Amino acid sequence: MNLADTLADLLTREIRLSFGEILLTRSPAGRYTAIHAVDEGKTTGLEPLESVRELREMAKNDAAGEYRPLKTAPGLKTGWTSTTDDPREFLRRLDAIYPGLFATWLAYDRETLAPVALRDTLGRQTGMYRFAGSITDEMAVRLRTELCGRGCLRQIVWPIDPGNQADRAPRTGGSLPLLCTEACTFAVNLARSLAKEAYDLANPPAATEP
Amino acid sequence: MPLSKPDAALLILGHGSTENPDSSQPCWDHAETIAATGQFRSVHCAFWKEEPSFRQVWPMIEEDEVYIVPNFISEGYFTRQVLPRELEISGHTTERGGKTLHYCDPVGIHQAMTGLLTKRALEILDESVRPEETSLIIVGHGTGLNQKSTEAIKVQVEAIAASGAPFAKVIDAYMEEAPFIADWQTLTDTPNVIVVPFFIADGLHSYQDIPVLLGIESEPTAAASQREVFRQNPHPFGDRTLWYSSAIGTDPSLADVIVDQVAYFDEHYRA
Repeated sequence: MNLADTLADLLTREIRLSFGEILLTRSPAGRYTAIHAVDEGKTTGLEPLESVRELREMAKNDAAGEYRPLKTAPGLKTGWTSTTDDPREFLRRLDAIYPGLFATWLAYDRETLAPVALRDTLGRQTGMYRFAGSITDEMAVRLRTELCGRGCLRQIVWPIDPGNQADRAPRTGGSLPLLCTEACTFAVNLARSLAKEAYDLANPPAATEP
Repeated sequence: MPLSKPDAALLILGHGSTENPDSSQPCWDHAETIAATGQFRSVHCAFWKEEPSFRQVWPMIEEDEVYIVPNFISEGYFTRQVLPRELEISGHTTERGGKTLHYCDPVGIHQAMTGLLTKRALEILDESVRPEETSLIIVGHGTGLNQKSTEAIKVQVEAIAASGAPFAKVIDAYMEEAPFIADWQTLTDTPNVIVVPFFIADGLHSYQDIPVLLGIESEPTAAASQREVFRQNPHPFGDRTLWYSSAIGTDPSLADVIVDQVAYFDEHYRA
């Protein structure tokens, strides 16, 4: 079954699915709707966003107008609604808000997508990120806690070391998990900063000759 | 006859930005244009610095045959090293997990770019200004990471000069390697100068960094989409006048160039 039909099938069976900050529903007439979860129950005052382009624009900035390069950062705008009766179009619209996250969950669930260990991700970097792989275990834990834990809604399923695969993340009824199967560009960037900070501390500039 | 790939997916690769909201827009725009033609079964974008990332995009693509077109200017560090590594592909065609992945040339080395750069330069110049008294600078990033990064620009500069374009002089300049764009006033000696950024988007470099290097702005401004007015030409510098265009990658014709790179792949690289 393809991605869109799988999504349609899930919504036909469960009617209401929580997906990050959004809520997906299917009406008895077969219409699919996405809204921000905080807007559940509102029958008026929601702005209809009926295209992929409009939804991508909505998700681009937060309510204060700040750019949201990480789509799974908390702070998705509220006050909109998007409805279609075409599951393929509905999936495209969800991808405008959470790019590829439904497909990622499905591939993970079908075991066709294996999480990538942090050290493998960092170890293959080149150019300005080539030092990212030299972070200590302590820095890796700090990265997961301070960056991923506070700034992102995804559930991490990658281990730090390749030999330690994380436990499988099962889906609970009524929700679709936002999974993180590999550290993103923000994590790689922070790893580089932490490694550089440690290097600079261990190698202070030589004192100037009097 | 227009290209038709009803069973294949098209994947457009872009750089994207974690700081500038406009960097990925041309990729999305061109993808929308191409998707509307129905030439491919599906059209996707993936980015180095935005989402979906090069690593996230594969589960989204359901077709068994995928044409991958880097919406990048040069055949350099990114197209030769970063993209193949992140996508786990090698050579022109990779067979993986039941899929056939075709890696096309980047848009920036397509021969149509010569005409697009010339057109862009002439269309922003005031009608009263003679191109014969005008130097054209094609500006790129430049990096020490890969010697081929500047090659695409040098090729275009030679091609524009050889095409009989009416400019007094056509030269290349870069942000991070010589000849530096910050030296535009000494690199040229004509009263008028046009600078066309050989970049994909009006993003961090072309909209925010280069205007500072040119002296148009004293410090980086907000992103283009976050300002009420797009920057106005021309910019006077004493007895000289500078015109600065938007990035060449924003030209709607780039959608045709992307599709053309797929056709070129079939003609030249397909086994």
